[in-house]
Amino acid sequence: MSGKVPSGAAALAGKRSAENQTNDGRSFWGALAGSDLYQAFSDALLSSPRRQFAILLTFPLVWVVTQHLGPMLQMLYVSFVEAYPVAPGYEQSFTLDNYARFFGSAIFVMPFLRTLVFSATLTFATLILTYPVAYFLARHVKRSNQMIFLLLLLIPFWVGEIVRTYAIMILLGNNGAVNLALKWLGLVDRPIPFMYTGFSISVGIIYLSALYMLLPLYSALEKLPRSYTDAAADLGAGPWTRFWRITLPLSLEGISSGSTLVFLIATGYYATPVLLGGPSTTVFAETIAGFFHAAGDEWPTGAAFACLMFVTALAISFAFGRLMTRLQKGVRK
Amino acid sequence: MTRHTRLVMSMIYWAFVLYIFVPLALMVMMGFKDSKFIGFPIRSWTLEWYIGVFGNSEVMSAFGYSMVIGITSTLISLFVGVWIAVLLNGRGFVGKGVIYGLTLLPALIPGIISAISFRIYAQLWGVPPGTGAIIWCHAVHNVPFVVLIVSARLGTLPKSYLDAARDLGADPLIAFMRVTLPYLRPALIGGSVFCMLISFDDFVRSFFLGGYQPTLPVLIFAKLRSGMSPEINAIATVVLVLTALLGIWAERTTRRLKKGY
Repeated sequence: MSGKVPSGAAALAGKRSAENQTNDGRSFWGALAGSDLYQAFSDALLSSPRRQFAILLTFPLVWVVTQHLGPMLQMLYVSFVEAYPVAPGYEQSFTLDNYARFFGSAIFVMPFLRTLVFSATLTFATLILTYPVAYFLARHVKRSNQMIFLLLLLIPFWVGEIVRTYAIMILLGNNGAVNLALKWLGLVDRPIPFMYTGFSISVGIIYLSALYMLLPLYSALEKLPRSYTDAAADLGAGPWTRFWRITLPLSLEGISSGSTLVFLIATGYYATPVLLGGPSTTVFAETIAGFFHAAGDEWPTGAAFACLMFVTALAISFAFGRLMTRLQKGVRK
Repeated sequence: MTRHTRLVMSMIYWAFVLYIFVPLALMVMMGFKDSKFIGFPIRSWTLEWYIGVFGNSEVMSAFGYSMVIGITSTLISLFVGVWIAVLLNGRGFVGKGVIYGLTLLPALIPGIISAISFRIYAQLWGVPPGTGAIIWCHAVHNVPFVVLIVSARLGTLPKSYLDAARDLGADPLIAFMRVTLPYLRPALIGGSVFCMLISFDDFVRSFFLGGYQPTLPVLIFAKLRSGMSPEINAIATVVLVLTALLGIWAERTTRRLKKGY
């Protein structure tokens, strides 16, 4: 038992109880704790540390298993059944047909590959684009100003997927701002059809997910002690050597988590490819969604496709994470 | 660093700021265009579209519906998230890492997969598409963010505060309610605004789990599919302004409160 009462806690408790004073001089919490009913409750449930811990543990355990894991497991289960929901009077039977259907047709394989290639390329592009921004924020902006500079970038990211996708549509349309600017500069006669192509989807997805790269990079670079690069400079290393041999290797952790996050998120965009893409740029999210607009009996196929997508994306992220860890170990040696 | 690289770096930063802001600024401008046709140049201006938003019952009811979903799901996420954060910041136990991993899972699942897995899961529990299903899915999706935000604050709570409360005769529950919870206030405000914004702006989950009543993003999507119009710009701008104001307010409040304790 600690005998010292820190002034902060005392002040906190004092402030609270002053707020909660009732007419009979006892606070609400004092009255509650003193009541017989609460005493009985406390004796029954909170009397031993073991019991306290059991209560503390049970609810989160049940929640994460049923709410976080449950939907994924149920989706996996449905991906192996013949029909879902089962029509009354029929037996549920298991099958691999839902998965076989994927490999049977280029209509399904192409969007799948396209999604993976798109997501990987865009992740890399986002990294290249945001790294200097994160570097500038973490190393060149005064610490007291960093939050404001960061906030400036954060605010637009709070606005949802649809609104920001729409903003890109206005930017890139045939009568959009970019085409108007090009025409005004005399660079083109007729508008360039940016929209409904891989280009417009790319601009949209980078626009949507840059923040998920920027924040991990920023926090990795911010942790990097300035003395490291100063020491290297004293020893005669030029800016490029310092970057390649110190800054970049020590920010691998941020690169790793940012890239994983952006990659996973990019595979899951649905509205953006629908609004910005065309028939030749169908992504797998649209393929999966197609099975859920139709009658319920297509659900098992949709579930199987979703499982394929998720497992592949996770496997790629995992392999990438391993590679980065190996690189980091190489750095420490 | 040389002055030269510093200049280049700051130019890249401001170029990035432009990239982030210009599309939104153009969208706001287009809402003032005095024509049904979306596109540049804008020759005459009007406030008609913006006034129209507030008189449009369809938009207003979608807005209210999104608010109800946002507030309800946020309350659920806060309750669950704080509980999990307290568990994870407490003493070690076998399987803590597994629970931590499972806690973060919903934040890592790609949007479309999260949406359709909940569609299937809701069917399993007999929950029809609609308000309940959307709230449920949003609440689960937001729990990891609450856990992360609350854990960051919980890690700075001096252990002596709780010891003092216990010495003065509080049982763990009372100590939690009177010491931990007030201390967490900045994290709770920040976390709830974060959840509100995610839920309010969510499209893919609301789209796949929704019934006949659209949330605001679903309504905008439906309108977009039938063609662009300055009306959509005006709606989107109102969403943008509200989001930004709420975000800035939350940021200021949390920072002020953190300084206070």
